Amino acid sequence: MTAAAKHSDLSANWPSSESQVITFSSKEGPLTGVVKEIRWGLVWRDFILEDGRVIPEHRIVGHPNPPVWRKPEEISQSEREECERRLVSMADAGLDPRNDEQPFRAELNQYLAYTYLRYKQAKPKPDTSENADVA
Amino acid sequence: MTSQNKSDEDTAWDLLSEAGLIDIPDDAFPKRVTEAKRAVMERLDELIELSSHPRECDSAAYSLATLKKLEITLKQK
Repeated sequence: MTAAAKHSDLSANWPSSESQVITFSSKEGPLTGVVKEIRWGLVWRDFILEDGRVIPEHRIVGHPNPPVWRKPEEISQSEREECERRLVSMADAGLDPRNDEQPFRAELNQYLAYTYLRYKQAKPKPDTSENADVA
Repeated sequence: MTSQNKSDEDTAWDLLSEAGLIDIPDDAFPKRVTEAKRAVMERLDELIELSSHPRECDSAAYSLATLKKLEITLKQK
Protein backbone atom coordinates (compact mmCIF):
# COMPACT_ATOMS: atom_id res chain seq x y z
CA MET A 1 0.00 0.00 0.00
CA THR A 2 1.33 3.46 -0.84
CA ALA A 3 1.77 6.16 1.79
CA ALA A 4 -1.03 8.21 0.17
CA ALA A 5 -3.43 5.29 0.21
CA LYS A 6 -2.63 4.56 3.82
CA HIS A 7 -3.27 8.17 4.75
CA SER A 8 -6.67 8.23 3.04
CA ASP A 9 -7.72 5.19 5.06
CA LEU A 10 -7.00 6.93 8.34
CA SER A 11 -10.24 8.77 9.01
CA ALA A 12 -12.33 5.75 8.13
CA ASN A 13 -10.38 3.53 10.50
CA TRP A 14 -9.69 5.82 13.43
CA PRO A 15 -7.63 5.39 15.48
CA SER A 16 -4.85 4.66 13.08
CA SER A 17 -3.31 1.25 13.14
CA GLU A 18 0.43 0.75 13.23
CA SER A 19 2.56 1.58 10.18
CA GLN A 20 0.16 4.23 8.87
CA VAL A 21 1.34 7.64 7.79
CA ILE A 22 -0.17 10.54 9.74
CA THR A 23 -0.06 14.29 9.25
CA PHE A 24 0.09 16.43 12.39
CA SER A 25 0.39 20.09 13.30
CA SER A 26 3.67 21.44 14.66
CA LYS A 27 5.41 24.77 15.20
CA GLU A 28 7.05 24.28 11.81
CA GLY A 29 3.70 23.61 10.11
CA PRO A 30 2.19 20.28 9.07
CA LEU A 31 4.54 17.29 9.36
CA THR A 32 4.16 13.61 8.61
CA GLY A 33 5.37 10.45 10.28
CA VAL A 34 4.82 6.71 10.40
CA VAL A 35 2.92 5.35 13.41
CA LYS A 36 4.74 2.68 15.37
CA GLU A 37 2.42 2.43 18.37
CA ILE A 38 -0.70 4.03 19.85
CA ARG A 39 -0.69 4.37 23.62
CA TRP A 40 -3.20 5.70 26.13
CA GLY A 41 -1.87 8.34 28.51
CA LEU A 42 -3.67 9.60 31.61
CA VAL A 43 -6.05 11.72 29.48
CA TRP A 44 -5.59 11.18 25.74
CA ARG A 45 -3.97 8.82 23.25
CA ASP A 46 -0.43 9.42 22.09
CA PHE A 47 0.79 8.26 18.69
CA ILE A 48 4.39 7.12 18.90
CA LEU A 49 6.15 7.43 15.56
CA GLU A 50 8.88 5.18 14.23
CA ASP A 51 11.47 7.92 14.80
CA GLY A 52 10.48 8.21 18.49
CA ARG A 53 8.43 11.39 18.33
CA VAL A 54 5.26 11.37 20.44
CA ILE A 55 2.22 13.10 18.95
CA PRO A 56 -0.99 13.68 20.96
CA GLU A 57 -4.07 12.54 19.09
CA HIS A 58 -5.63 16.00 19.00
CA ARG A 59 -2.74 17.31 16.87
CA ILE A 60 -3.28 14.75 14.14
CA VAL A 61 -5.17 15.79 11.02
CA GLY A 62 -8.54 14.02 10.90
CA HIS A 63 -8.77 13.14 14.58
CA PRO A 64 -12.26 12.71 16.05
CA ASN A 65 -13.67 15.99 17.33
CA PRO A 66 -13.99 16.08 20.27
CA PRO A 67 -11.31 13.46 20.81
CA VAL A 68 -12.09 10.52 23.05
CA TRP A 69 -10.51 11.11 26.45
CA ARG A 70 -10.30 9.21 29.70
CA LYS A 71 -11.88 10.60 32.84
CA PRO A 72 -9.69 11.10 35.95
CA GLU A 73 -11.74 8.52 37.83
CA GLU A 74 -10.78 5.89 35.23
CA ILE A 75 -7.13 6.11 36.26
CA SER A 76 -6.04 3.67 38.94
CA GLN A 77 -3.68 4.59 41.73
CA SER A 78 -1.03 2.23 40.38
CA GLU A 79 -1.22 3.69 36.87
CA ARG A 80 -0.87 7.22 38.22
CA GLU A 81 2.02 6.28 40.48
CA GLU A 82 3.82 4.52 37.61
CA CYS A 83 3.45 7.69 35.56
CA GLU A 84 4.75 9.79 38.47
CA ARG A 85 7.79 7.53 38.89
CA ARG A 86 8.57 7.76 35.16
CA LEU A 87 8.30 11.54 35.24
CA VAL A 88 10.65 11.90 38.21
CA SER A 89 13.06 9.46 36.60
CA MET A 90 13.07 11.37 33.30
CA ALA A 91 13.51 14.70 35.12
CA ASP A 92 16.39 13.26 37.18
CA ALA A 93 17.98 12.02 33.95
CA GLY A 94 18.14 15.61 32.76
CA LEU A 95 15.46 15.43 30.08
CA ASP A 96 13.98 18.80 29.15
CA PRO A 97 10.23 19.19 28.55
CA ARG A 98 10.91 22.03 26.12
CA ASN A 99 12.08 19.49 23.56
CA ASP A 100 9.21 19.10 21.12
CA GLU A 101 7.46 15.79 20.61
CA GLN A 102 9.67 13.93 23.08
CA PRO A 103 8.33 11.40 25.63
CA PHE A 104 9.05 13.55 28.71
CA ARG A 105 7.15 16.51 27.33
CA ALA A 106 4.25 14.30 26.22
CA GLU A 107 3.92 12.53 29.54
CA LEU A 108 4.35 15.68 31.65
CA ASN A 109 1.74 17.55 29.59
CA GLN A 110 -0.76 14.74 30.14
CA TYR A 111 0.05 14.46 33.83
CA LEU A 112 -0.55 18.19 34.36
CA ALA A 113 -3.81 18.03 32.39
CA TYR A 114 -4.92 15.02 34.44
CA THR A 115 -3.98 16.72 37.71
CA TYR A 116 -5.97 19.81 36.73
CA LEU A 117 -9.06 17.80 35.87
CA ARG A 118 -8.71 15.73 39.03
CA TYR A 119 -7.99 18.41 41.60
CA LYS A 120 -8.50 21.91 40.36
CA GLN A 121 -11.65 22.11 38.34
CA ALA A 122 -13.78 19.17 39.27
CA LYS A 123 -13.18 19.44 43.01
CA PRO A 124 -14.83 16.09 43.60
CA LYS A 125 -16.04 15.17 47.01
CA PRO A 126 -13.93 12.41 48.50
CA ASP A 127 -15.11 9.03 47.28
CA THR A 128 -16.00 6.87 50.23
CA SER A 129 -16.64 3.70 48.25
CA GLU A 130 -14.50 0.68 48.92
CA ASN A 131 -13.08 0.65 45.39
CA ALA A 132 -12.15 4.29 45.21
CA ASP A 133 -8.63 4.95 43.97
CA VAL A 134 -7.64 1.32 44.03
CA ALA A 135 -5.52 -0.21 41.31
CA MET B 1 -25.33 23.62 22.11
CA THR B 2 -25.88 24.47 25.74
CA SER B 3 -23.31 23.68 28.36
CA GLN B 4 -25.71 21.10 29.80
CA ASN B 5 -25.76 19.24 26.50
CA LYS B 6 -22.03 19.21 26.14
CA SER B 7 -20.33 15.86 26.25
CA ASP B 8 -17.76 15.10 28.94
CA GLU B 9 -15.06 15.30 26.27
CA ASP B 10 -16.24 18.78 25.18
CA THR B 11 -16.25 19.98 28.76
CA ALA B 12 -12.81 18.59 29.52
CA TRP B 13 -11.47 20.08 26.27
CA ASP B 14 -12.84 23.52 27.20
CA LEU B 15 -11.45 23.34 30.74
CA LEU B 16 -7.98 22.30 29.65
CA SER B 17 -7.96 24.74 26.77
CA GLU B 18 -8.82 27.65 29.09
CA ALA B 19 -6.12 26.50 31.52
CA GLY B 20 -3.54 26.31 28.73
CA LEU B 21 -2.95 22.63 29.36
CA ILE B 22 -3.67 21.04 25.99
CA ASP B 23 -0.44 22.08 24.32
CA ILE B 24 1.77 23.66 26.97
CA PRO B 25 4.17 26.26 25.51
CA ASP B 26 7.89 25.49 25.77
CA ASP B 27 8.67 27.83 28.64
CA ALA B 28 5.43 27.35 30.59
CA PHE B 29 6.17 23.93 32.08
CA PRO B 30 7.71 25.18 35.37
CA LYS B 31 4.75 27.53 35.92
CA ARG B 32 2.19 24.84 35.13
CA VAL B 33 3.90 22.44 37.54
CA THR B 34 3.76 25.08 40.28
CA GLU B 35 0.06 25.69 39.56
CA ALA B 36 -0.66 21.96 39.71
CA LYS B 37 1.23 21.72 43.00
CA ARG B 38 -0.92 24.51 44.46
CA ALA B 39 -4.11 22.76 43.29
CA VAL B 40 -3.05 19.52 44.98
CA MET B 41 -2.07 21.39 48.15
CA GLU B 42 -5.50 23.05 48.31
CA ARG B 43 -7.17 19.67 47.98
CA LEU B 44 -4.86 18.15 50.55
CA ASP B 45 -5.74 20.92 53.02
CA GLU B 46 -9.43 20.16 52.51
CA LEU B 47 -8.84 16.46 53.05
CA ILE B 48 -6.80 17.03 56.18
CA GLU B 49 -9.58 19.24 57.51
CA LEU B 50 -12.13 16.52 56.81
CA SER B 51 -9.74 13.95 58.35
CA SER B 52 -11.84 11.03 57.18
CA HIS B 53 -10.42 10.10 53.78
CA PRO B 54 -6.94 8.74 54.43
CA ARG B 55 -6.66 6.94 51.08
CA GLU B 56 -7.28 10.03 48.99
CA CYS B 57 -5.10 12.01 51.38
CA ASP B 58 -2.19 9.60 50.85
CA SER B 59 -2.73 9.74 47.10
CA ALA B 60 -2.70 13.54 47.06
CA ALA B 61 0.42 13.60 49.24
CA TYR B 62 2.19 11.26 46.83
CA SER B 63 1.25 13.47 43.87
CA LEU B 64 2.37 16.54 45.78
CA ALA B 65 5.77 14.97 46.40
CA THR B 66 6.09 14.19 42.69
CA LEU B 67 5.21 17.73 41.70
CA LYS B 68 7.68 19.19 44.21
CA LYS B 69 10.47 17.06 42.75
CA LEU B 70 9.51 18.08 39.21
CA GLU B 71 9.29 21.73 40.22
CA ILE B 72 12.79 21.70 41.71
CA THR B 73 14.30 19.88 38.75
CA LEU B 74 12.66 22.07 36.11
CA LYS B 75 13.65 25.28 37.90
CA GLN B 76 17.30 24.20 37.68
CA LYS B 77 17.13 24.11 33.86
